[in-house]
Amino acid sequence: MMKKRMMAAMLAGAMVLSVTACGNSSGAEKAAGTEGDAPAEAPAAEAEAPAAESAGSVELVVTTTFAGEDSNAQNYKDAVKAWEAETGNAVVDTSATADETFKTRVATDFETGSEPDVLFFFNGADSNSFIEAGKVVSIDEIREEYPDYASNMNEDLITASLVDNKKYAVPANGFWEAMFVNTEILEAAGVAMPGADYTMDQFKADCEKIKAAGYAPIAAALGNIPHYWWEFAIFNNQSPATHLEIPENAGDENGQAWVQGMNDIKELYELGYFPENTLSATDDETFAMFTEGKAAFLIDGSWKVGGIVGACQSDPNDPATLDSAKLDKFDVTYVPGKGDRKATDLVGGLSSGYFITRKAWDDPVKRDAAVSFVEYLTSDEMVPKFAQHGASALKNAPEVDTSEFNVLQIKAMNMMAGTTSLTGAVQDLFAGDCRVSTFDGMPEIVTGRVVAEDAVAEGLEAYHNQ
Amino acid sequence: MGANIYRNKKPALAFLLPAFLFMVLFLYYPFFKTIINSFMHLKQLGATATEFNAPWYTNYEEMLHDPHVWTSVKNTIIMMLVTLVGQVGIAIVLALMVDNIGRGKQIFRTLYFFPIVISATALGLMFNLIFLRDKGMVNQVLEMLGKQDLTDWKAEGIALVTMMAPVMWQYVGFYFVILVTGLNNISDELYEAATIDGATALQRVRYISVPMLHNVICTCSVLAVTGALKVFDLPWVMFPKGMPLKTTFLTGTYMYYQTMETKNVDYGAALAVLIVVLGVVLAKVVNAVFREKDY
Repeated sequence: MMKKRMMAAMLAGAMVLSVTACGNSSGAEKAAGTEGDAPAEAPAAEAEAPAAESAGSVELVVTTTFAGEDSNAQNYKDAVKAWEAETGNAVVDTSATADETFKTRVATDFETGSEPDVLFFFNGADSNSFIEAGKVVSIDEIREEYPDYASNMNEDLITASLVDNKKYAVPANGFWEAMFVNTEILEAAGVAMPGADYTMDQFKADCEKIKAAGYAPIAAALGNIPHYWWEFAIFNNQSPATHLEIPENAGDENGQAWVQGMNDIKELYELGYFPENTLSATDDETFAMFTEGKAAFLIDGSWKVGGIVGACQSDPNDPATLDSAKLDKFDVTYVPGKGDRKATDLVGGLSSGYFITRKAWDDPVKRDAAVSFVEYLTSDEMVPKFAQHGASALKNAPEVDTSEFNVLQIKAMNMMAGTTSLTGAVQDLFAGDCRVSTFDGMPEIVTGRVVAEDAVAEGLEAYHNQ
Repeated sequence: MGANIYRNKKPALAFLLPAFLFMVLFLYYPFFKTIINSFMHLKQLGATATEFNAPWYTNYEEMLHDPHVWTSVKNTIIMMLVTLVGQVGIAIVLALMVDNIGRGKQIFRTLYFFPIVISATALGLMFNLIFLRDKGMVNQVLEMLGKQDLTDWKAEGIALVTMMAPVMWQYVGFYFVILVTGLNNISDELYEAATIDGATALQRVRYISVPMLHNVICTCSVLAVTGALKVFDLPWVMFPKGMPLKTTFLTGTYMYYQTMETKNVDYGAALAVLIVVLGVVLAKVVNAVFREKDY
């Protein structure tokens, strides 16, 4: 009997201890991993963990937007592999397509203390929350220990944070947003390829012809990703000089431009230029309509070049399987202009960069690896590979070698050569719940269930209350 | 002495303690914290709420005027009815049919149960392809049958059906297995006696199987109704953000949308409280309606 009691007591004790131990280890991990203001404790807690990594292998958790249909998804994979081979370190890659879900995931990771060590992320308002929380390290602070950090970049082109005007993100490659065209549909509908002087009125006339020929003129999922149309519709009622000014309210001049922008999208919807299922389709579905010859125009970013090329390959991961004849049918041009915005005034810039988190910086084992990783990915040799047909922030940008470019990349370079201005995206400054009424609410706006002015006013009120 | 060992409850308590602590830490503490947060001003996940809303019941007042709350409650109640009729109802029919076949019962058990082991997210992605407007499986079949135009299975009028069909399909097997087990527990002697008395197969089902399954059906119904309140992943994958036009929100997906997408964390907490209240009330109603019998 006594023996049984002792056994029971021992088992119970063991269970309680195991639970307590679990709690302790997670607590230690938290102390090491998330308490940015306790660097002295962090190394102690981590001291035992790297024992297994004594061979020089450090595991870095990295999140980027180089995934899915992004043009640089493969470049990124290759670069990571090369860095791992060179340093003996390992990367746990948690990259994902740059959409609202991704942004939410990153923000939540920071808020719950499970942020990555390095991230390639937007340097506009989307990064405000974790910069305010002190969870990333400024470039100046890094330079105190690593003086050459990001020294190959043009300082003027490194965007400062909206929070404290400090620079945190080392830019790698710029972006642009323009209009991709499926020329096969244009030919079938008897529409000429749009050029540098393309206007909204011409665009509507072309859409009418395309619709009459049995195709969807515009590939866009307004219920899922209305972002690009949102940006250009507003831009079309402003000018490059005023586009980045966020209105005080829906009634002022800029506010009215936003309202008119929303109403312009509503007009296109009512004219039947978006796909029939634009309110219920995902962005992937409407993109497939574009690549499969069912929709003519697609406004999207420079990263979509890779997506289109991938759609022209029988194996999206093997460039050798590219169907060049199919790719030839795609082109890229300017977004139809209106008012003070010329078609050649595009949206673009250096809106993303590599951040090093406080968590990685305070970990003596990871600090070197994190700096090394960012320096490798932003080196003079690597940046041109990522920048391709876009801009970069390099001080000494080398000549672009177009010999390995595909036909769409060359068309993109030619298109970019004709741009008259490149303005940042105002939605990068207008992030968070203020977007909800006009982004998630776009279907209600275009169907007339919500008045555009009310939706804009609601968003601006949320913005000014932030 | 032998019987005394069962009188001493202390060792049992020691074994229960870790699980109790676990529940307190990961269930009851977050639950009460959520109730408190629903009265606070909290617009960021992971942040600590420092002040109460003014007035403190703001979120609950807002809920009354929020049309999407009513849409999500309405859809959730429809989902409950669908699970009751579609999952438990179909499972009863299948179980009775399988119980009447001689061989191959085990095969049907496995086949019907199989969807349960597939992750709901994977099923959501699969059904996305099945219901795709362009080149989706359903539309291709309809095209082969001569239908000219494509049907948008995710359009406003039909989206709820498209969302609920896979949910229903996924869980039929779960209730089927419970019901088949219940049928196996009915003594063969009852059926034999009924057969000798001249009862037909339908009469045996009507007067023996169904009454004897009453308690099992009650359990399944309670599980189905409470389970419908928790359905989340499959609808979210197929209809993110209540697409189209926020008409497909369930209480769970709307709470997630408010908390994770719009960062309206305190409002999300209030919605979570609403879900708990709904769950308790509906479980009581279902328990009252499907009262178990003592035999």
